[in-house]
Amino acid sequence: MSIPVLICDDSALARKQVKKSLPQGWDIDVSMVTNGREAIDYLRANRVGIMFLDLTMPEIDGIGVLEINKAEKLVDFVVVVSADIQPDMKKKVESLGALAFINKPVSTDKLNNILKDYGLL
Amino acid sequence: MNITLSEDQRDCLQELINVAMGQASDKLARYLETFVHLDVPYIELVGSDTLPLLFAQKYNGSSVSVVSQGFYGNDGIRGESLLVYRRDNAKEVASLLGYEPEEANENEQLADISSILTTTFLNGLAELISNQMSYSAPRLISSLNTSLDSHLEQLSFNWELALKVDISYQVTDYSFNCDMILLIPGEAIQNIQSVLDRILEEY
Repeated sequence: MSIPVLICDDSALARKQVKKSLPQGWDIDVSMVTNGREAIDYLRANRVGIMFLDLTMPEIDGIGVLEINKAEKLVDFVVVVSADIQPDMKKKVESLGALAFINKPVSTDKLNNILKDYGLL
Repeated sequence: MNITLSEDQRDCLQELINVAMGQASDKLARYLETFVHLDVPYIELVGSDTLPLLFAQKYNGSSVSVVSQGFYGNDGIRGESLLVYRRDNAKEVASLLGYEPEEANENEQLADISSILTTTFLNGLAELISNQMSYSAPRLISSLNTSLDSHLEQLSFNWELALKVDISYQVTDYSFNCDMILLIPGEAIQNIQSVLDRILEEY
């Protein structure tokens, strides 16, 4: 059965970059949303195996999504893909239950390494 | 010259700016040992002749200092970066940098911060588009004397179009922020557009 994957970023380019960096031949079903509000709505209505989440977004930002996810346990695996790479931000994201942090721009190598580290690949 | 960015080009440029801005903020945060709050950057193309008016509206009488620096990359990509500081932030800047009040004058402090923000941002942006930047010496201009007005006038005379990138670097715990404006002449914007199209084709 395919793994449902959700990509959440307000930038079309960034969404495409994540999608293109996903491993070839991985049996997945990719959906995309453009802000945190849409992500929460989607997660409440659909089962998602892994979510790739941007932080700096309108409506609800990535931190907001992580806070709601922590309370409601909507998705187990969240990989943050962000341009805000400050050490304090990484710590905050980790404390809110994100599995891993990828510095933008994302690449196939960065993404594969993380998926391998966590046995998702 | 009539230049407009397509929606894809704008999205692409905004994302590149986002990443470069993130790198600059990280550098600043480490340098100041604090946290820098990031907002979604706002970009728009404006005629440079509107620049003095935009300045007048945004900074509405408050006195500002501007650090102005030219940048030159390959493939005809060049422009001028303006970092705008409100002068009532001067004390915050000094304490952020750990200066004693009488130590190092304000101009040196602004030069320090500007060099971190401008070069990290532009080097980051250059790397994302496989380019390389060199820089002219930064100039500090203050609205306390009339030189800012004449500088803006001169810029608006030299540059036809401005790609205005409003980036606000807001430092937590201090009421310090600064705005970055990039001025890019018409033909350089067209060169950037080809770069954006090349990137968009890859995805």
